[in-house]
Amino acid sequence: MAHIESADGASGPAIRPIRRLPLDPSLIIVVLLLAAVVIAGFTLSDRFGTLRNFTNVLEQAAALGFASLGQALVVIVGGIDLSIGAIVTASTVLMATVVELHPALMIPMIFGTLAFGAFIGFINGYVTIKTGVHPLIVTLGTASILNGAVLIFTLQPTGGVPFWFEEFAYGRIGGVMPISGLVMLLSFALAWGFLRYTPTGRAFYAVGGSPEAARLTGIRSNRITLMAYSASGFFAAMAGAYFVSRTGVGDPRVGDPITLASITPVILGGLILGGGKGNILGVLLGVFLISLLSNLLNYMNVSTFIQWVIQGLIIIFAVSIYVHKGKKL
Amino acid sequence: MIRLDGITKVFPGVKSLDNVTFEARAGEIHALLGENGAGKSTLIKTMAGAYIPEAGTIEFDGERRAWSLPKEAKDAGIHIIYQELMLFPEMTVAENIFIGEAPRGRFGLIDYRTMYARAAEALDRLGHHLDPRALIKDLSVADQQMVEIAKALVGDTKLLVLDEPTAVISGREAELLFDRVKRLRDQGVCIIYISHRLEEIFAIADRVTVLKDGQYVGTREIGDLNRDQLVAMMVGRELADIFPVKKGPHADTAPVLTVRDLQAPPKVKDVSFDLYPGEILGLAGLVGAGRSEVAHAIFGSMPRTDGAVTLGGEAFNTPTPRAAIDRGLGFLTEDRKGEGLMMLLDMAANVTAPVLPEFTTPLGLDRGHEILAAEDEIRRFRIAIPGPKYGVKQLSGGNQQKILFGRWTRACRRVLILDEPTRGVDVGAKVEIYEIIRKLADEGVGILVISSELPEIVGLCSRVLVMREGLITGEVTGGDINEETIMQYATASAGADAA
Repeated sequence: MAHIESADGASGPAIRPIRRLPLDPSLIIVVLLLAAVVIAGFTLSDRFGTLRNFTNVLEQAAALGFASLGQALVVIVGGIDLSIGAIVTASTVLMATVVELHPALMIPMIFGTLAFGAFIGFINGYVTIKTGVHPLIVTLGTASILNGAVLIFTLQPTGGVPFWFEEFAYGRIGGVMPISGLVMLLSFALAWGFLRYTPTGRAFYAVGGSPEAARLTGIRSNRITLMAYSASGFFAAMAGAYFVSRTGVGDPRVGDPITLASITPVILGGLILGGGKGNILGVLLGVFLISLLSNLLNYMNVSTFIQWVIQGLIIIFAVSIYVHKGKKL
Repeated sequence: MIRLDGITKVFPGVKSLDNVTFEARAGEIHALLGENGAGKSTLIKTMAGAYIPEAGTIEFDGERRAWSLPKEAKDAGIHIIYQELMLFPEMTVAENIFIGEAPRGRFGLIDYRTMYARAAEALDRLGHHLDPRALIKDLSVADQQMVEIAKALVGDTKLLVLDEPTAVISGREAELLFDRVKRLRDQGVCIIYISHRLEEIFAIADRVTVLKDGQYVGTREIGDLNRDQLVAMMVGRELADIFPVKKGPHADTAPVLTVRDLQAPPKVKDVSFDLYPGEILGLAGLVGAGRSEVAHAIFGSMPRTDGAVTLGGEAFNTPTPRAAIDRGLGFLTEDRKGEGLMMLLDMAANVTAPVLPEFTTPLGLDRGHEILAAEDEIRRFRIAIPGPKYGVKQLSGGNQQKILFGRWTRACRRVLILDEPTRGVDVGAKVEIYEIIRKLADEGVGILVISSELPEIVGLCSRVLVMREGLITGEVTGGDINEETIMQYATASAGADAA
């Protein structure tokens, strides 16, 4: 039972073997799970392994992708955003309602809706910083306010947008690549580059992992926190725009399942809820994993409720492996 | 009571114990002393059956033993109390003392009456009176420690090992602990006391065994040694060599930092001083005198309410950490783990954190450049780490501190404030850090050293400011710098004179 870590040889003459931080330790599990789903898909269903099916899944995964990306950015800085679903909902209603009244405002309203989402996120961040209240509570409050406000305004799906806006969700480049899926992939690519290759991105991890140390090395922590929450709101609004594009209306309930759904890929991707750690590509793989799994189970006529059970088992399984690994190392 | 002979324990790549001999008697307090990495913990764990040595014999209570499990050693009467207390905060004192082996009554249910009575007995034996019904979370850390010791007493403990027990308690509590431990010694228990605080060793131990780099250095009666001899045994060199030669500030220079009437309530009431390039200025005082707060208020990480600060001749009155760093002021805080290192980032990222924009090209972070810079620091400060991409969490205190020196000396060339620069660092690394500080001063950096270790202040600084209750109560220079004078200014008596 001699664990090398316990040897109390620290500054002795020999350099103690210390775990090198491998490039992406967190990706291994999600990659393995994803591979398992894909292999199972090819074996169990003849419709699963087609290009057409994969592009369809990519198209359908866009909303979850946007929401999870935003969630991941907040989680990295040590927070959590429970208002994502409510921002999605509010964005769809805002966009569809305004555009129905003034169809000419379609394009400005795309930007307007994204700005609205970013603004709500900014408020989340600002209140968290100024009050010191845990973001769980702040964003839960924001969610309640937004949901309540939307339901006061309408109980039914409402509004409408020009038919061409459907292209965002359903359009295909070259008849193959879904626009929505592509935008989602590009967003992840940008976020990945930002986190990895810019000082501000590095600061996200610093603030999430060691807020006080970050502040004392001159990092403007509050600014980083505000950026993360604003980005989360922005991407939630993006998911909202995607839903409007799919359905043509603003739906006061559409965002309800999104909040918790957005956390699943974040956890599967190996981010830790305390912040400061994790690779955003893991989150993207988590999105693929959830989407492909659900796609496969649909082909196999497994009911949605059983799918929930399976998803739950996978989350617990994956996280227990992360925890186990963390202990061993 | 216990005798270990020729113990050798090898871990992959490290020979942690090399032919070590150790012997302790019943009814004595035997100190086990050595720097971090000397092999103290490994030796204790070997005694307790947690490690099986590659070579050597263990004799306990007159019998040759070869533990294969910790439980065998425990049943034989060896009890170890680690630094992290293993208590359940929501349970009572008695429940903790009898955890896992509560006295049973009818139907196998816990017999609380007997349990409380026997817990009280154990505490009595220690001479420490606590209510067995009190909850652990309501007790002070010192009282919690007594509960840990009482746990040892309900079994038939013949050998009690205390692993750095005073690391977590105050000075007065430590005296109480010493009293209790001596009482146990007088009852015939063999006590092994691990610490690297020398004053304690002299206060409590009967004999001392010193380990260095996994090897046995020697065992002495405590009365045959003085402090310097003990340090020499630990470090393998004489005390006079520990501190570098003192020099004053660079001649004919203007102050690089001036502080006038600095106020930052509640801890900093009115502080003024100058710091010159090349000077090592000490800031001494008791814990709570406001020394760290002065540093925070200058650096901009704590708000000031009044005062004027100049840095490199320019006013610096709207401070933030960012602005301070940009003007060449660095601050190495006392809380290395919470306020210093970023534990989830690798070593390179920790070094470059304050000056990350310097490692950025229009295309983004230049990781290669960053790694080269970090490698420079590894060489410059002889940091024992395999490379810049490795984590910093598992490193020793000395190596962690050197990484922070790498960070701040790279970022800030005018003034460095060093708050407890050698806290939690072993003696060997201390010497290296003192050399680093001297060299920085020689290069013209103005250095403010805050330290609670008076020998460090005395040995290092050419001028010392003493603080008491938010005010500077004294300034000592040159040959007048000694522990007595500093203590006089730091405590109330001299404060009255100054006022």
